[in-house]
Amino acid sequence: MSNVAGKGVGARLRRKEDARFLHGQGEYVPNIAMVGMQNVAFVRSSVAHGRIKSITKPAGLEDLVFTIDDLIGVKPIVANSALPGFKASSQPVLAQGKVRFVGEMIAMCVATTRAEAEDIAALVEVDIEPLPAVTQMLMARNTEGPRVHEHWSDNVFLETKTEADLTDIKATAAIKVRRRIHTARQCMAPMEGRGVVATFERRLDQLLMYSSAQMPHINRAGLSECLGIDQGRIRVVSPDVGGGFGYKALLLAEEVCLAWLAMRLQKPVRWIEDRYEQLSAGANCREHDYDITGYADTNGRLLAVDCDATVDSGAYSLYPFSACLEAAQVGSILPGPYVMEKFRCVTASACTNKPPILPYRGVARTGVCFAIELLIDAIAREAKREPYEVRLTNLVPPEKMPFWNVTKKYFDSGDYPEAVRRAVTAIDLSKWRARQQQDEPDGRRIGVGFSVYCEQAAHGTSVYYGWGIPMVPGHEQCNARLSPDGVLEVRIGAHSHGQGLETTLAQVANSILGIDTENVRVIHGDTAVTPYSTGTWGSRCMVMSGGAVGVTCKEIEKRVRNIAAKLMEVAAVDLVLADGEVRVAGTDKKMTLKEVAHVWYRQPQLLPPDVDTGGLEATLGYKPLQDTGTFSYACHAVVVAVDTELGAVEILDYVIVEDGGTLINPMVVDGQIFGGTAQGIGTALYEEMPFDLQGQPLASTLADYMLPGATEVPPVRVLHMETPSPLTFFGQKGIGEGGAIAPPAAIANAVNDALAPLGVEMLESPITSRRLLAALAKAGTVAARA
Amino acid sequence: MKTISITVNGKPAQASVEPRTNLADFVREHLHLTGTNIGCEHGVCGACTIEVDGGPARSCIAYAVACDGATVRTIEGFAADATMHALREAFSAEHALQCGYCTPGMLITARDIVLRLPDADDGRVREELAGNLCRCTGYVGIVRAIRRVLEQNKL
Repeated sequence: MSNVAGKGVGARLRRKEDARFLHGQGEYVPNIAMVGMQNVAFVRSSVAHGRIKSITKPAGLEDLVFTIDDLIGVKPIVANSALPGFKASSQPVLAQGKVRFVGEMIAMCVATTRAEAEDIAALVEVDIEPLPAVTQMLMARNTEGPRVHEHWSDNVFLETKTEADLTDIKATAAIKVRRRIHTARQCMAPMEGRGVVATFERRLDQLLMYSSAQMPHINRAGLSECLGIDQGRIRVVSPDVGGGFGYKALLLAEEVCLAWLAMRLQKPVRWIEDRYEQLSAGANCREHDYDITGYADTNGRLLAVDCDATVDSGAYSLYPFSACLEAAQVGSILPGPYVMEKFRCVTASACTNKPPILPYRGVARTGVCFAIELLIDAIAREAKREPYEVRLTNLVPPEKMPFWNVTKKYFDSGDYPEAVRRAVTAIDLSKWRARQQQDEPDGRRIGVGFSVYCEQAAHGTSVYYGWGIPMVPGHEQCNARLSPDGVLEVRIGAHSHGQGLETTLAQVANSILGIDTENVRVIHGDTAVTPYSTGTWGSRCMVMSGGAVGVTCKEIEKRVRNIAAKLMEVAAVDLVLADGEVRVAGTDKKMTLKEVAHVWYRQPQLLPPDVDTGGLEATLGYKPLQDTGTFSYACHAVVVAVDTELGAVEILDYVIVEDGGTLINPMVVDGQIFGGTAQGIGTALYEEMPFDLQGQPLASTLADYMLPGATEVPPVRVLHMETPSPLTFFGQKGIGEGGAIAPPAAIANAVNDALAPLGVEMLESPITSRRLLAALAKAGTVAARA
Repeated sequence: MKTISITVNGKPAQASVEPRTNLADFVREHLHLTGTNIGCEHGVCGACTIEVDGGPARSCIAYAVACDGATVRTIEGFAADATMHALREAFSAEHALQCGYCTPGMLITARDIVLRLPDADDGRVREELAGNLCRCTGYVGIVRAIRRVLEQNKL
């Protein structure tokens, strides 16, 4: 391996993609214009649950309005799961007979401009007979009352059970703590919403769709299933995407509608989601409820965890992740890196009259981390020990690696206790403990909190085939081509929308081929020119696409060596690839990569007779040595000051000790952690998508749905441990989601540390002023204010 | 429809616009200046921030007809601007952008901070950024980049 001026694996290389964004030249879907393009607005349901009695198109404008009755032959979206007992929903792309959440699409209106399309939408008359709405996920198991899907026996997509006999432990455990823990429903809210431009290309007899999408190949598969068109006749291009976080990892009903419309009208059509649509109708995430009990010995050593968890999955099962991934995951990931003898867990994916959920950055882990980490602190208080000490007691020690935990998760590597110890030192716990002994001059209360998580990333076939959902990741492929002028084109099927893959994958190529990253073009986001991929999700790209680029560049390297060895009349093993050259070790003989490429393309008469006929282009697939996933992890430590009069929480210090294995580009890794942590702070303190009992969304603007700004997010200190994964190409681990997992638990634990003397324990996120003041009032500990 | 005269990126333009057309849609759809990204259309997120008559403004809640006679600069109009050049360099060096969607609005606000508040510290920079949301970076790189340019300007 070699570097051009430190541009390879491990370099803090500036991003190649920055230039276009800094000059306002990002190519996002709303920036794409086509001749004759029409714009679409949707009529959406204003009630959460109801029977459609009639839809009346405005007189004279009938040709510009489309309902499900017009979309003949278009199949509903079905995301099944093979898990036993799963009830699949059938989601018509425009409402059919019933509406099941506020914002569900009822009719599609088309006009020259979006404003005119909205004018038409306002004239469509929809008569809906309201039905009682199902909005309480904890009542989903009831067999009485309204059903979201009439023919179901209850409102549960799936129930899972992880059984264990806890009789002995229940009888003998010295410490038993039971908590009811809840996390709010959220909206992922990337800065750019979703958007679609579709047209039908007569010459190629294919549908061309631009969509703001994380997994364009999956969108193509889903479009094919709904429209009955071969995948080979569909091209999906996901250009620059203004943030994903999971919100763009699905097949949209809007995509299916626009595809149909483009073919029907034989004109390009465009729909751009506005923020109101996103917040009031777009997919939600994260709403978890836990009835969790921990059993421990007097020292706080965990014996067993018993949990009944419910996730509000909303009205439909989204494609491809399905409605059950989130809750069912709880049953397998709740114990995380903690050692325990027994684990029992029942989960339910509740079906309600709310927008469906999607897996948001961290997926179930943010809720799971919140539940288990609050439980650990509760146990620590019972054991009268420092919470970090109880973590050290229970975390898997490094000598047990690799480690199969109680739910048979395979932990590939790492030193979890060391991350905690370093965090304790970095946050200077003893300093804050001393300060807590004195009253603060401003009357606030100081608290310190810790949380630990693990992030299973890049989990592959062996994990996913069991889910039986429409998508199972296999080998991740890369196509690489050394072009005639010595530029390396690298094509991958995953998508980069902020993660910096255009840079980091070039660094991988540099480390193997010695080619300047300036001469590497990473091409992604177009099903016509990239290998099939399940796309960008599950913190998988640096492991999977990075590995694929690695093995493919190795193949290119082999072929370059073979050609260059013959041309320079030396043995291939004597060649060194560095700085864009192929050098003969110990001599000054050399050729440039460009010269080698020139021979293949322009002077084939010079090629050796046994040359690889694949030339300087190769497509190879990659999987880690074991595809159960890499386990990155971190310990977050936070200090807060709680104002018990205002209910305000201020973060005074925030430290993260993180182990992402080998870091490909530490700057990009830090950026992912900073950004994830900001989202986690939003989850902890601000973000909430509430619904009333009729199923009406109550936060439809960014003035109601509070995203953290620069004044809410503190400077965060990140310290790295680098335990290489034994499973991956460079030892890298997936880290894209981790930042968003731990903050709610760490912050809640800090708040609870601050309020413990007052007998207040916060068990619900976000910890808003309203919730804090209510809890303080309930505890009767706040002095009455004038 | 109403005819307005407006100078955008140094070029005078006349256009006939509907009264309801906002300035963001006007520059994007009429002038094809798509560097201005639309984030919320209700004046909270700051993604669409452009310069109107020398100061930052949210183009999503300004009507184009209300900007008759105004001088407007979008992210495409700062090619020769030394402060913007320094900010672009600093944003890249400090990893102050990921998906890039908030970046044009962020840069225009950042330029205003740098020119108006030469002595701003981290806390002041953060307060000034309160009207520009970023979902990717956690603001760490953005604050550092602005401070970097502020410090450079003191040399």
